[in-house]
Amino acid sequence: MPGARTPGSRRWASLALVAPAVAIAAFVVVGGIGMSVVQSVGLLPLVGEAAFSLDAYVANGDELLTGTALSLGIATASTVLSCLIGLTAAIVITQGRRTGRIVAAISALTIPIPHLIGAAAVGLLLSDAGILPRILGIPGTEWPDFVGGSWWIAVIFEYTWKESAFVALVVAAVLSSRVARYDETAALLGASRARRLRHIVIPLARPAVIVSAIIIFVYTFGSYEVAWLLGRPYPEPLPVLAFRLFDSISLTSRPEAAAVAVITTMISLVVVALGMALLRRTPLWR
Amino acid sequence: MVMLIPYGQRVTPDDRTVSNRALMRPRPAGRALRITIATLLTAWFALPLVPLLLWFFADRWSAPAVLPTEWGFSGVTSALANGAVPAFGRSLLLGLVVAAIATPLGAMAARALTRGAVPAPRLVSGILLAPLAMPAFVAVMGLTIVLLRARVPGLVGVVILLVAAALPYTVYTMRVAYAAHDLAYEEEARTLGASPWQVLWRVHLPLVAPGLARSAFLAFLVGWSDYVITILVGGGTIVTLPLLVASFASGVGNDAVVAVLSVSAILPPLVLLLVLGRFGRRYPTARFMTGPTASRSPKGSP
Repeated sequence: MPGARTPGSRRWASLALVAPAVAIAAFVVVGGIGMSVVQSVGLLPLVGEAAFSLDAYVANGDELLTGTALSLGIATASTVLSCLIGLTAAIVITQGRRTGRIVAAISALTIPIPHLIGAAAVGLLLSDAGILPRILGIPGTEWPDFVGGSWWIAVIFEYTWKESAFVALVVAAVLSSRVARYDETAALLGASRARRLRHIVIPLARPAVIVSAIIIFVYTFGSYEVAWLLGRPYPEPLPVLAFRLFDSISLTSRPEAAAVAVITTMISLVVVALGMALLRRTPLWR
Repeated sequence: MVMLIPYGQRVTPDDRTVSNRALMRPRPAGRALRITIATLLTAWFALPLVPLLLWFFADRWSAPAVLPTEWGFSGVTSALANGAVPAFGRSLLLGLVVAAIATPLGAMAARALTRGAVPAPRLVSGILLAPLAMPAFVAVMGLTIVLLRARVPGLVGVVILLVAAALPYTVYTMRVAYAAHDLAYEEEARTLGASPWQVLWRVHLPLVAPGLARSAFLAFLVGWSDYVITILVGGGTIVTLPLLVASFASGVGNDAVVAVLSVSAILPPLVLLLVLGRFGRRYPTARFMTGPTASRSPKGSP
């Protein structure tokens, strides 16, 4: 590490330090999106002539529309539920009593569990031969179709289970460092519990909740394995549709998979932009 | 941007803070409500893990029975027969390789960014965060053709994509670590005649070690948990633990094997998390450096 010699040499040293990370991230992000766009408009076929066309976007028009609606629905439901449960957990955690410590420990333990493993576990829990119908004494034939049903309950359940722990951890970290003092001051000034929650805890937690919500939405919107394992064959969410087209043997399917990828990315980017705009409007965001 | 996962960091207030809150001493009704909510939350987080533990020890468990009808380890035997050990080894190696690459790269970038001499810092931060905003399958579908034409081996391609996916975590964890890091210690060591190498190994790295451990853990998780990149870029030839779990879980009647494989996929990160919790708190120099309260502040990065 060179010391502070001249501004110019420091600049070059800094550039050399960020270069490897930026090169890899830029290759994957710019290359990934760029090449998806190029393939989706037919400019990079596996065989044959390259020619510009938007056929790939039109070929699966109906499936694209239903897939988009479905993915948006799953991601919205998972994000909203995760934020509600996670915020509640964070508030319980930062109360600082023994109950809070148990919730903190158990939620932190679920975070390193891979989503795919979570999906397998939720399958063993919620399917008609799962543990829950057995415990409740409901025969499998009368058990609602949580796994593979038309409401995608098991998928949303898995996302919510994993991501609520994520929200709890991120928000609890913010609350534990900032809220305690304000909360005490307000209590001293005679604010009731409900008022403290409404005017102190929730506003202070808001930026962290919004950031978590953006990350969760984008993740659940573009995630494949959970929806594939716990969902139903039709209609397909966008990532599942893209996977099927990508693996299909027909020659036109690669551009079609790329088109699905481009649409998924565009929606993700719009959501990130909206989320960031919302974040900038919160008073605490610096 | 301050998003980070505060691993190894204390999120519950300490006893001193709590005992001072005489004003907020719970009323009976509030207490009952809080305990009910806490119980429900504990059940919520623990519930999906119950079937894994029960199926782990079940030889036979016919449908209406509440508990396994025959206990045993046939799931373990069957998992071992289906290549669980090599898959475990591959996952471990993949996680370690991703951590070994993404952690130093993230730390270097974070150091440069916190010292403020990088041109276009917002753009650079944006690029480093971008993998978080892009679905993994998009990167794969775009880049497979590039990697194929450049004749990049499947394993190398998988590692490149996973490192990119891990960089947002390592960069931002290290930015927080460097924001609390005092350069004066390094300057002091240099004044006393330490070589750049000695400053790096004896002063700089020990001081940011807890941050490095946290980033390495998150990067390891990215490699350890991945399914999409490994199966698409690896073309199904790199059989990691998640691939094995997926192939059994998508079939019927493999519940015991799925449980055994899942438990073996959960244990290593959990052990690392516990080790990290100890390491992150015990490190004496770090506490001395950041003070008792600063380590709890996640709003460290600019």
